[in-house]
Amino acid sequence: MNMKGLILAGAAWGALTATAFAEPVELDLWTIDDPGEYHYVMAEEFMAAHPEIRINVRTVQFDDMVNDLARGIAAGDAPDITYIDNPEVALFASRGMLLDLTPYIEASDIVNTEDIYPGPLASVSYDGGIYGLPRGANTIALYYNADMFREAGLDPDNPPKTWDELYEAAKVLTRPEENIYGLAFSAQASEEGTFQFLPWVQMTGGDYDNIATEGAARTLELWKSFIGEGLASPDTLIRGQWDSTGTFNTGSAAMVISGPWELPRMSKEADFEFRATLLPVPEEGAERASALGEGDNVILASSDNPDEAFKFIEFLYADMDRVWNDFGYLPASEVEVTDPKFPEIYAVFAESMKYARNRGPHPEWPKISKALQTAIQTTLTGQADAAEALTQAQSAIDRVLQ
Amino acid sequence: MSRFKNTFSDGVGFDTILVMIALGYLVLFSAFPLVYNIVMSMQEVDLFSLASFDRPFVGLDNYRDVLGRPETMQIFFNTVKFVGFSVAAQLAIGFGLAMFFQLDFPGNTWLRGLFLAGWIMPAIVVGGVWSWILAGDFGVLNHILLATGLGDEKIFWLSDPEFALYSVILANIWLGVPFNMILLSVGLSGISEDVYEAAQMDGATRIQRFFTITLPLMRAQLGAVISLGVIFTLQQFDLFASLTQGGPSNASNVFQYWSWQLSFQNYEIGVGSVISVLMILFVVLVAAVYVRSTRHEHVA
Repeated sequence: MNMKGLILAGAAWGALTATAFAEPVELDLWTIDDPGEYHYVMAEEFMAAHPEIRINVRTVQFDDMVNDLARGIAAGDAPDITYIDNPEVALFASRGMLLDLTPYIEASDIVNTEDIYPGPLASVSYDGGIYGLPRGANTIALYYNADMFREAGLDPDNPPKTWDELYEAAKVLTRPEENIYGLAFSAQASEEGTFQFLPWVQMTGGDYDNIATEGAARTLELWKSFIGEGLASPDTLIRGQWDSTGTFNTGSAAMVISGPWELPRMSKEADFEFRATLLPVPEEGAERASALGEGDNVILASSDNPDEAFKFIEFLYADMDRVWNDFGYLPASEVEVTDPKFPEIYAVFAESMKYARNRGPHPEWPKISKALQTAIQTTLTGQADAAEALTQAQSAIDRVLQ
Repeated sequence: MSRFKNTFSDGVGFDTILVMIALGYLVLFSAFPLVYNIVMSMQEVDLFSLASFDRPFVGLDNYRDVLGRPETMQIFFNTVKFVGFSVAAQLAIGFGLAMFFQLDFPGNTWLRGLFLAGWIMPAIVVGGVWSWILAGDFGVLNHILLATGLGDEKIFWLSDPEFALYSVILANIWLGVPFNMILLSVGLSGISEDVYEAAQMDGATRIQRFFTITLPLMRAQLGAVISLGVIFTLQQFDLFASLTQGGPSNASNVFQYWSWQLSFQNYEIGVGSVISVLMILFVVLVAAVYVRSTRHEHVA
C-alpha cells in the first residue's frame, strides 16, 4: 500500500470512529425526585446501558412543576422528558405540548397498552392519543392499628368493610381522655382533599362531572359526623395526608386513610401492629373505587430527540416490576412483583389499584378540583349543608365543562 | 445631549444622569409591572399565554367576575380585620414597649435587643413555630390553657373557622411589634428631656404629659409607622402559607393570599391580577397618608 492509500484508509477509519464515538445525544429530564430517588437512579442505569445517550436530570419542586414547565415551554427552554402529575397531563396535552406516543408504542416490543391498568391508562390518554407512560402508581386504603382493635374488642382480622362499619369502628376506637381519635384522613382545601374525597363519590356512582348526588351528600355528611362527633380531629380540615398519618403512627389515631408512600416512615415510627384493608364501600356489594396517584413520564412535543427520549421512558417502563421494592410505588401495569416488601399490605394496595380511577382528565382540572374542595370545606365548617354545597360545586364545574 | 458629554469634562449634567438612573429604575421595576398588571387584569390570561402580549381582551369581565364571587365579601372583611387588628395591636404594643425602653434600667439594651428577634426571623420560620404553638391536638397554647384551667376544652386555633383568622393575626402582631418599637423609639429619643421636666415643674401628671407632649410630638412618626404597618400587613403572605392556607373554607383568607391562589393554583392569572390592582389602589391611598405625615415632619 502506498502512502496515499494509507492516508485515505486512515481518513476513512477516522470518519468511522467519528460516527461510532459521536457526541452523545443529550436529553434533559425534569423530575420531582431528589438525587438517589427514582429518576436519578434510573437515568444512571440507562446511561450505563446506552453510552450514546446522556441524560441531564434536574429537580423541580412538585408544587412548581406546572409553572416551571409552562414557563420553560414559553421560553423555548423546556426539557425533552419530564414527570407530570396525573391530572395535569390533560392540561399540557390539550395544548399540543406533549408528544403523542401512539406510533412509538405500536412499534415497541416492550410497551403494550393492554397491560396498563385502566386508571393509569386513562391518566395518560387524551382525545384518542397517549401522551405519557405511567412511572408507577399509588392509591389509598385504610390502615388500622391492630393492637387498638383488640383492646377495643374489635376483630383485627375483620376490619370495617362498609361505611357504617367504619363509623361504628371509629366510634368504638375513639378515646378522648387519652387523645385518641378513631380515624384520621385529609379534607384539606388542596388537591389532597380532592384525592381523598372523589373515591367515596365514585363508589356511589357519581364523579367529578356528576357531583350533586345523594351519594356525594352522604359522603360529606359522614365526614361531617366524623369531625363533629370528635371521631376525627378538627385539624383534618387543614392537614394533609402525611401529617394525618403522622398522628396514626404516634398512636393518636386508630385508623388512617392514606397510601403506600407512608410505609417506610410507618415501619420506623409505629410501635404497634399496623395492617391495611381496602377502602370501605357504601354498603355491601357496592361498586369499589379508589384514588389514583403518582405521575407519568412524558415527552415534550418540542424535543429534538424524540426517538432517544422514547427509548428512555420505555426503559423506565420495562422496570415496572421493581418500583414497589426499590422506590415505594405500586406498579401501574400487570407485572409480577417477586418477594414484595410488606407482602400483606402490598396485596391490599395491589388489589385496590384495580379500582383506582383517574381524576379528570380535564385540561382545567385545577378549577374543578377547587370547586370540590370548596364544597368539602363549606360543608364541614357548617357554612352550608351538603346538598346545597354540592349544588354550588356542580354549577361551578358545569361552567368549566361547557 | 451635550450636557452628558460635559459630565466627564466639567461635571455639568451629572445630576441629570443620576436622575435618569433613578427614573429608569422606577420605570423598569415599578411603572412597568404596575401597568402590566393593569393590562393583565383586563385580559384572559393563563399559564401558557403569560409570555405573549397577544391575549384575548375581556374588558372589565374579570372585575365583574371577582366582585360576583360569593367568597369576595368574606375575604374583603377578613382583609379589613386582618389589617385593622394587626396594625392597631402592633402599634399599641410597640409604642408601649418603646416608652418602656426609654426608661433607664439595668439590662435595658439587652432586653430591647431580644425583642428584635421577631424582626430578624423569616416569616416562614415564624409561621412554623406558631403552627406548633397553635396546633389543635398537641399545641403548646392548648396545653397551657388546659393545664392552668383557663380553658376546659381544646380550641382548634387553626381549623376552627371562628378562630383561624385571629390566630394568624396573633402571629402577625408578634412579628410586627419590633418594627413598630424600633421606629417609635427613635422618635421618642428625639423629644428633649427638658420639655418633660418643664411640664413636670408646672405640675403636669404623667398622663397629661403623654397626651400633651409625647403624642403631638410623635405625630409624624405615628403616621409613618401606621402607613408602613398597613403596607407590610397587606404584604403578609408567608404566615398564611404556613398556618392556615387561608382556610378552612376561606375563613382566614385575605386578598393577598387569594390573589396568589387564583393566579398560581387555579391559573386564573387575569382574575388574580384584578385583586392586585384593587390592592394597589388601596396602597396608593395609604402611601398618600404616609407622604403627608412625613411632609409634616419637615414643616415641624
